Amino acid sequence: MVRQARITISEEVRGANLQLSIDGELDISTVPLLEAQIEATHESPTPLTLDLSGLTFMDSSGLRLLIELSERSRREAWQLSLVPSRHESANLVLRITGADTALPFTERAPE
Amino acid sequence: MGLDSEQLIQDLAEAEREREQLVQELRHALRGSERRFEAIVGSLTDAVTIRDREHRFLYANSAAIAHLGFDSWEQLRDTPPAQIMKDYLVWGEDGGVISMDDIPSVRILRGEQAEPLLIRTVHQETGAERWNLLKAAPLLDEDGEVEATITIIEEVTERKRAELRDAFLAQASAALASSLDYEQTLRNVAQLAVPDIADWCAVDLLDEDGDRRTVAVAHVDPQRLSLAEALRGYVPEQLDPERGIGRVLHTGEAVFYAEIPDEMLVVAAIDERHLELLRAVGFHSALIVPMRLGERILGAMTLVGAESGRALDRFDLELSEQVAARAAVAIENSRLYSARSSIARTLQQSLLPEQLPEITGYELASIYLPGVETSMVGGDFYDVWAVRDSWLIVIGDVTGKGIDAAALTALVRHTVRTASEFDASPSRLLEFVDATLKKRPVLSVCTAMCVRLQGDRATLAVGGHPLPLHVSSEGVRELGEHGPLLGAFADACWREHEVHLKPGATLLAYTDGITDAQGQGDVRFGLGRLREAVAELADRPAAEMVDGLARRLAEFQTGAHSDDTAAIALRRAVAGTAGADRAQAHEVTRAGTASAMSATA
Repeated sequence: MVRQARITISEEVRGANLQLSIDGELDISTVPLLEAQIEATHESPTPLTLDLSGLTFMDSSGLRLLIELSERSRREAWQLSLVPSRHESANLVLRITGADTALPFTERAPE
Repeated sequence: MGLDSEQLIQDLAEAEREREQLVQELRHALRGSERRFEAIVGSLTDAVTIRDREHRFLYANSAAIAHLGFDSWEQLRDTPPAQIMKDYLVWGEDGGVISMDDIPSVRILRGEQAEPLLIRTVHQETGAERWNLLKAAPLLDEDGEVEATITIIEEVTERKRAELRDAFLAQASAALASSLDYEQTLRNVAQLAVPDIADWCAVDLLDEDGDRRTVAVAHVDPQRLSLAEALRGYVPEQLDPERGIGRVLHTGEAVFYAEIPDEMLVVAAIDERHLELLRAVGFHSALIVPMRLGERILGAMTLVGAESGRALDRFDLELSEQVAARAAVAIENSRLYSARSSIARTLQQSLLPEQLPEITGYELASIYLPGVETSMVGGDFYDVWAVRDSWLIVIGDVTGKGIDAAALTALVRHTVRTASEFDASPSRLLEFVDATLKKRPVLSVCTAMCVRLQGDRATLAVGGHPLPLHVSSEGVRELGEHGPLLGAFADACWREHEVHLKPGATLLAYTDGITDAQGQGDVRFGLGRLREAVAELADRPAAEMVDGLARRLAEFQTGAHSDDTAAIALRRAVAGTAGADRAQAHEVTRAGTASAMSATA
């Protein structure tokens, strides 16, 4: 588990699926942490779920990371699932940019 | 020292006889384990000693005699064990002091189980450092009582030092690669060197003007660091290029003082006090290695063996040279990086118009607050230019890294300007930029908001960007609708919205650096505060509105803002003002837009 004052990333392997749950703020200063965590734990073509439900804030650099992941998953043919945040403050940037419909968001956390 | 060979031969013969006799006695005493004893003595080149219950030596093979620093068995036999210990400083592997009571053979005599013990010894006089592995076993008499102990001293100095050097090299290399803050990194490396490699470690850097600056001094005992501080007062302005660090920085060659006799300190001392300090450090040996890249000398690393008495050797020299070489690369990388990052920053800022054009009938004002330097550069940009019968205003945000972000900003600005020559419709311009970004080999995305101004009519389209605000005495509202980010998603399209700007109404476009600004307790500035702020500034001229906004932002923010922040305000002039007079002439001046365009292009 990676922990910094402003972000917590916990890792869970569910069968063949890797799930990273991110709580806190995903912005220009915490994005590198999530990037590094994905780099360290995810191996193509394992399906990856990013559970953002506990995310309280996301800025454009967080969005950029999601888009990059989405691009990569398409290129390398693995499945990316994104669980939206419960907080409007984190979903705002997604709504503003159209990423809420363009990126592979699921309705709610997979059981 | 003269050598009486005849005497020597006689002594040797006598020693040999005595030893033979002792061994005979031992064999006799240790009948049960005779074979084992024979095997040990016969097969091991390691030092082997046998001690009695009072811990006196009963036997020591020649390797042991030499190892303990004696010339003969008699010398060793006649020296009390405590006396032998006295000549050495002894530490355990963890750095703790080892006493006689911890020695395996002594523990066995106390009836304890004794694990092999790894000790580091430094001879008080010579400074020679050794790592020894002590293994002891009891020799039992017929009743099963411990009659004597046998100790095998295996010297593992080379192995242990190699291990410590490997560890240091690995840790130092990792530290050097871990951060771009090279001064902090060099301090970490110096810290890693003590006490495993040396008692002191210092790092000096040369700046562009050739001035020396000490960036790190490490000692395992922080209290002793004040010595270094005091010594630094004696550093001459001009280093002696013939000696010490001056020579290393001058020639780029390492210097190695295997031993530093007191005379050397006397020669080096400037005055009595200086000599006192030098003596207090307890210099024993020292080495200074250059940190250099080819012909360029970036600095030097100094290692000193001092109060522990350890003598640095050629392995330490080789090791330091390796670490210094890596440090030089790290310093260079970091300097290049900061140079590059500031180039990117400068480039980014140079992409903003130096001066906003004058739009007849309007006031135009902007703010741009660059974010603090990070590896990510959030490149905000805006541009205002005239095309045929209209003015175009674009604001956007490129998220990327360093020069790439700046290059992308340049591309977007160029693309949108060029495209506007063919079609000045905001939605078409966004489509054009989107298509251009998608052709790039690497993911290139940006937000953009584009306004076309024709008279009092503003037509706008928004791509992944915060919606601009319409600010008037009647209130604040968002304009237009959200459209997709540019360069990111397939099948994207953008819708246009139109608004008529009444005199005194302001169109305020901004980047997310404003709403994302962090205040106390990680609270964000947010749209709510932005709306409140501009509502209060609604009747102010454009320049006062953006300045007032910047002030409120600065009051709200804690710490430096990490992201670029930009805002541009377009306010329709109120009748009777200079701007409004020009508005009357708007139609007439339209012909002049071509020259305005070529001026800003």
